[in-house]
Amino acid sequence: MKRAFYLLLLIFGLVGCKSSRIVDQVQIIHAMGYDWKNGTYTGTAIYPTFKQGPMTKPDILTTESSTTYDLIPRLSSKSALPIEEGQMRLVLFGKSFAKKGITEIVHSLARNNKVGSHLQLAVAKGDAEELLRITAKTTLSDTLYLSNLVEQNIREMNLPNTNLHIFLYNYFGKGRDPFLPYFEKKGNFVKLEGLALFKDGHYVGRIDLRQSFLVKILLDETKNGVYQLPISKEKQKGRVLLENLYATSKYSLKKGKKPAIDIRIHIHASIRDYPIWLDLPNKESFALIRHQMEKQLNKDISKLIRQFQTKEIDPLGIGDFVRSYTRHWNEKSFYKQYKKLTIRPHVKVDIVQTGIGE
Amino acid sequence: MSIFSFFFKRKPNNSKTLAQLLQELKRSSDFAAVEFQISGHDFSIFYFDSLIDPKLLQQQVLCHLQRDVPNFTTLSVRDFQRIIPVQRIEITSDVQTVETKLLKGFALICLKRDDRNWALINVASENLGLRQNNDSENEFSVVGPKVGFVENIGTNLHLLRRQINTTNLVFRELTIGTMSKTKVVIAYIDGIIDEQTLETVIQRVKDIEFDIVFDTSLLDQLLSDNSSSPFPSFVSTERVDRVVYALVGGQVAILADGSPYVITGPSTLFDFFTSPEDYYLPWVLGSFFRLIRMFGVMFSILASPIYVAVLTYHYEMIPKDLLGPIIFSRSNVPFPPTLEVLFLEITIELLREAGARLPTKVAQTLGIVGGIVIGQASVEAALTSNILLIIVSLAALASFTTPIFKMSNTIRFIRFPIILFASFWGGVGIAFAICLLLIHLGRLKSFGNPYLVPLYPLRVKDFADSFIRSSYRFTAKRPSYLRPQTFWRYDPNKAKQKKDIDE
Repeated sequence: MKRAFYLLLLIFGLVGCKSSRIVDQVQIIHAMGYDWKNGTYTGTAIYPTFKQGPMTKPDILTTESSTTYDLIPRLSSKSALPIEEGQMRLVLFGKSFAKKGITEIVHSLARNNKVGSHLQLAVAKGDAEELLRITAKTTLSDTLYLSNLVEQNIREMNLPNTNLHIFLYNYFGKGRDPFLPYFEKKGNFVKLEGLALFKDGHYVGRIDLRQSFLVKILLDETKNGVYQLPISKEKQKGRVLLENLYATSKYSLKKGKKPAIDIRIHIHASIRDYPIWLDLPNKESFALIRHQMEKQLNKDISKLIRQFQTKEIDPLGIGDFVRSYTRHWNEKSFYKQYKKLTIRPHVKVDIVQTGIGE
Repeated sequence: MSIFSFFFKRKPNNSKTLAQLLQELKRSSDFAAVEFQISGHDFSIFYFDSLIDPKLLQQQVLCHLQRDVPNFTTLSVRDFQRIIPVQRIEITSDVQTVETKLLKGFALICLKRDDRNWALINVASENLGLRQNNDSENEFSVVGPKVGFVENIGTNLHLLRRQINTTNLVFRELTIGTMSKTKVVIAYIDGIIDEQTLETVIQRVKDIEFDIVFDTSLLDQLLSDNSSSPFPSFVSTERVDRVVYALVGGQVAILADGSPYVITGPSTLFDFFTSPEDYYLPWVLGSFFRLIRMFGVMFSILASPIYVAVLTYHYEMIPKDLLGPIIFSRSNVPFPPTLEVLFLEITIELLREAGARLPTKVAQTLGIVGGIVIGQASVEAALTSNILLIIVSLAALASFTTPIFKMSNTIRFIRFPIILFASFWGGVGIAFAICLLLIHLGRLKSFGNPYLVPLYPLRVKDFADSFIRSSYRFTAKRPSYLRPQTFWRYDPNKAKQKKDIDE
């Protein structure tokens, strides 16, 4: 009896301490944009209102501050309901903000227990605010437009897998650098334009969507993505569209005076589109096109890696790979040699399908 | 003295004489006293008009007396056994016995010449006022026998004896209730039943002190190991096949006169979620439906608490596509989720309660009026959200899948404390409540047998017939937690044999 009394006391006594956030009595932010303009930070939040129906027009709140810390609290002063970032799906950085450094935001996100690790981060050419305003316009009218776009491209197309979790792993992990999807404004639309590359929390450059396919197959096992390649046969020139069905990459380290890294890439591909003059089911042209594709892929990958090496960034995590094979690996001394490191790709393409034929 | 004499614990000290007893009984207008004379012998017959079958009295007693008594010159009470062709004639000189027997529908015959001994003749009308229809209406199954128990214990014992055709089936008869003197029968199969369990059961039944036993559900409560638990300790069923299955498995069945429900025990939690139909369907289907039932129970208990917890505290974990519909449907509701849920749950409970109290035809109308009209109207009046209406009605539906009515009541009940915990502490509260529930279940016992077995204590071999109903090849052994004296129900090797035509 006494125990039951104490239990009840505990329950009813602690009711006062509750911090309920009833779902329809908070302002749920779906995406947040950060910009650095004229010496002040601008924060843009995009949130849905569900008053008329399950899908309604997105709304936007913006505010300015001299630090990034109080952007969300400042947004609250413009909102009728408390702002909650627990359902946030995308954080968009303006290019100038990304160049200045995203360290503060990343640290804050890493510690925030409300934010899930499936959150997408991305970089916008120009202002993040402008891009978010475009997505909020009636033509798209979706608060989740950008995050859905990123997820769709990861799932089906050329974008390597990214989210907050992977970003933090690359960011804090030794021997690797993070990358993020890169958006551009094209007229009234937002377009994915490749990958933004980071070094020590600062934006240092970008690669296009075609190259991001190479990053995708170099990073891990993938089952999607398309890549266009030039081919030629007896003075006839054209292009084929390679569709990745299943690709694996295997790194191996050759130690010695001149260390070298070999990357063996095996792509099971389907040739989705090819010129009419190319008689694919034919055995000879099959070998020819395969050979040409492998050569071209090798060339492109080498070029991409050279690009990384000149910028001294490591989105592929080569430093991390070497570390796993080296006792007393030292980050500084490794990246001194990184520029001159020999990295040799060996691509093998297996054409599995060419569509319905005779 | 009857065979039940060991049973009367306290004999009243002031032993009455027969004249005093008759005087007492004559206060009642349905007590009949008839005196007559046949060829010089003075008879008097006493009986309760309301308890006996007048036809029986006339044909079996009076006719034979009139025809055969003139052949006797000296008649003693013992001669009645030769005259009257009724199987149970008792000759007694004990007033106490006379009293009990008269109240059970016996007729008392006295001879004026022989006033030390009296004859008691069973002319009770067994079926008067009892229903004859024994469909198992409340525990219906599409496949399998539809015969159920009725209020008459004789019929019930007959039904059991007919299916279990062995000399080892033992009925132990006891009388419970200081006023009702209800005949209670403990049935078990000797050679299977664990002696210790049987002793526990008999002792507990003997120790019951109560005035009137209306139903076995009273016995259920009086016998249970923890009477303040919301969980029923024993399965009570009106299906014959269920009881037979329990007996064959090594359990005890308790029947009471006047009750169509039979208690079987010791029971485990799983017994309440098995339906006889599981055994009539192929084992794959039986297992699937059993799993569906268990999922239904989980859903029924947890659906509305999770709704409360998520909407009040954990909006982060709502899937993004569900966020819109949830917020939109709740946007005009003036209550916090807790009150919203309690409002709807109590509405459903009211509907259920009202439906159970009303005549069947009215209840149907009420169900439609309540379910559709109130549900739709409360959504349109923005008192509840659409989504919650779906959740609550699904949870109510799921709670009906439990085959045993008592367990289904329990499931209805334990939802409410969990809702309160969820509204106070969110997801942590639900976890806490589930922990309390598991602790309680782990401590529960049924006739001294653990309730959560085979989960706790773990009996891996007994899982063959728990979550899934395995093929009959694997259920040849009786569950070990009942500690049966013999383990094998049938020979599994013979059951496995396939007799092909070319053999």
